[in-house]
Amino acid sequence: MRPGNPSPLAHEFLETGRSESCPIIDLHGHWGPYYGAYLPVACNDRMIGVLRRRGVQRIVCSAHDALFADPDRGNAEMHAAIQKWPDLLSGFWAVNPNYPDLAARASADMAAAKGFVGFKLLPDYHARPITCDAYRPVLEYANAMQLPVLIHTWGGSAFNSPQQVEVVAAKYPEARLLMGHSGFGDWETSARMGRDYPNLFLELTACYAAHDFEMLPSGSGTPVGLCSCLHVNGIIEYFVERAGSEKIVFGTDMPWYSPHFAAGSVLFAHITDDDRHNILHRNAAKILEKLIVQ
Amino acid sequence: MIINWYDCNCSYGRVARPSHRFAHNVEELLAEMDWCGVDRALVYAAGSRASSPVTWNPVTAGLRDHPRLAPTWAILPPSTNELPAPQDLIGAMREGNVRALWSFPQEHRYRLDFSTFRELFPLLEKARIPLFAKQNLIPLKELLTECPGLIVVAVNQGPHSVERYLRPLLDDFPNLYLETSGLLVEGLIEEFCERYGPQRLLFGSGFPDQCLGGSLLRLAQADIGDDARRAIAGGNLERLLANVSL
Repeated sequence: MRPGNPSPLAHEFLETGRSESCPIIDLHGHWGPYYGAYLPVACNDRMIGVLRRRGVQRIVCSAHDALFADPDRGNAEMHAAIQKWPDLLSGFWAVNPNYPDLAARASADMAAAKGFVGFKLLPDYHARPITCDAYRPVLEYANAMQLPVLIHTWGGSAFNSPQQVEVVAAKYPEARLLMGHSGFGDWETSARMGRDYPNLFLELTACYAAHDFEMLPSGSGTPVGLCSCLHVNGIIEYFVERAGSEKIVFGTDMPWYSPHFAAGSVLFAHITDDDRHNILHRNAAKILEKLIVQ
Repeated sequence: MIINWYDCNCSYGRVARPSHRFAHNVEELLAEMDWCGVDRALVYAAGSRASSPVTWNPVTAGLRDHPRLAPTWAILPPSTNELPAPQDLIGAMREGNVRALWSFPQEHRYRLDFSTFRELFPLLEKARIPLFAKQNLIPLKELLTECPGLIVVAVNQGPHSVERYLRPLLDDFPNLYLETSGLLVEGLIEEFCERYGPQRLLFGSGFPDQCLGGSLLRLAQADIGDDARRAIAGGNLERLLANVSL
């Protein structure tokens, strides 16, 4: 049967898988295979093909190899991919605070590498709190240059809870802080921060799915287990109501989560098409404005 | 292309910690299905999972007036005598036209294995009643090994990819089916169809834990053939339920 949802965008995506008037800009992507799970489209050409078919106009990625192994080698992989597909890919320079010397020169390295627009921080996996000193050089640089910084966040985390990110948001008001996963599970704090901090955006990756880590044979896969949250329906509506759709950006973790699964959750949320445009591309386009040089 | 959407993983009603949006009652569930264009749904009362099946399984009797909704019940170990004895349970299912069962071992705190359900599972096998199991794949393998004739639908297997655990089970156990609400990872639906064919994949949204539209758009635009899409969207579930002999 035909959906009662009156959104022309929802119908267009359902029928054609994409929308000319509403491209997707994904601010949370990755690159390459992941050690802890099989990701079918993690091989390069296949991911590019899928992104184009799903209506993704641009995706900003960080390399799994940079986040989970050697930052220099992984960031170089990301750079090579951006050079190959500059019309589709941009990069977040992955920073690992467990290598302070690399973190200290990350700003200079990133600035010298064409195609990167900001930084990616992954405190839960690197087991260092977002407030630790090793992150200071890149956060100061992002603040000075008004660059986006994608921070993995999770409710209840000892390393990147919304409360810890709030300290950073207050300290670096000119950096564009993207709360990856929107402080998953601590929706109230995250929504309030999205409302209160002009430089902070709620990024939706993973917010399309319940996370019950007891169902996963290997749990959350982080050094310290993440909190489960067994339901997410209505979160997008809640964020729009509390923080405003101007403060929400779209992400998928691709090659993890399908852009269509994620977009479907936005398209069939009970919000307006204006909100959907904001979330799916407009806000991201503003953040990336002037940062992408073709 | 016309697709008849038959959601195999839906519930309605209040629970202690509800989603921000959920269906308080059947009418609200139908309204959400209308919003997304879902034709029919296999439904359990949320209280059967979040509280006790003893009090909440019978609530689905109210679905008889709604031809778009098919009721399901949750099971408990027969040894505690909380639900009707297995033979009587099958009789009650016949009366209520209940053609599938659910198992929530984490929530209801039991082992989903043959020794716990030795009186019930042979009856399910004989009647070809599918058992929807919200269960981690490690203990689920034990069940499949002990009861290879039991039709088991593994639900909520995600959102991370669990393929390294799952594929050996799919290879070994032809009565293992998979539901799609956990299949967020790009490419999994396509590779399932390439490797196993579409017959063992069932469309499920996980509503109200998740938005109904996510799983729907994913399957609507999956890179698979239209016959496979129709089968996963509803044909496979229809076939499973039609094969039940109560």
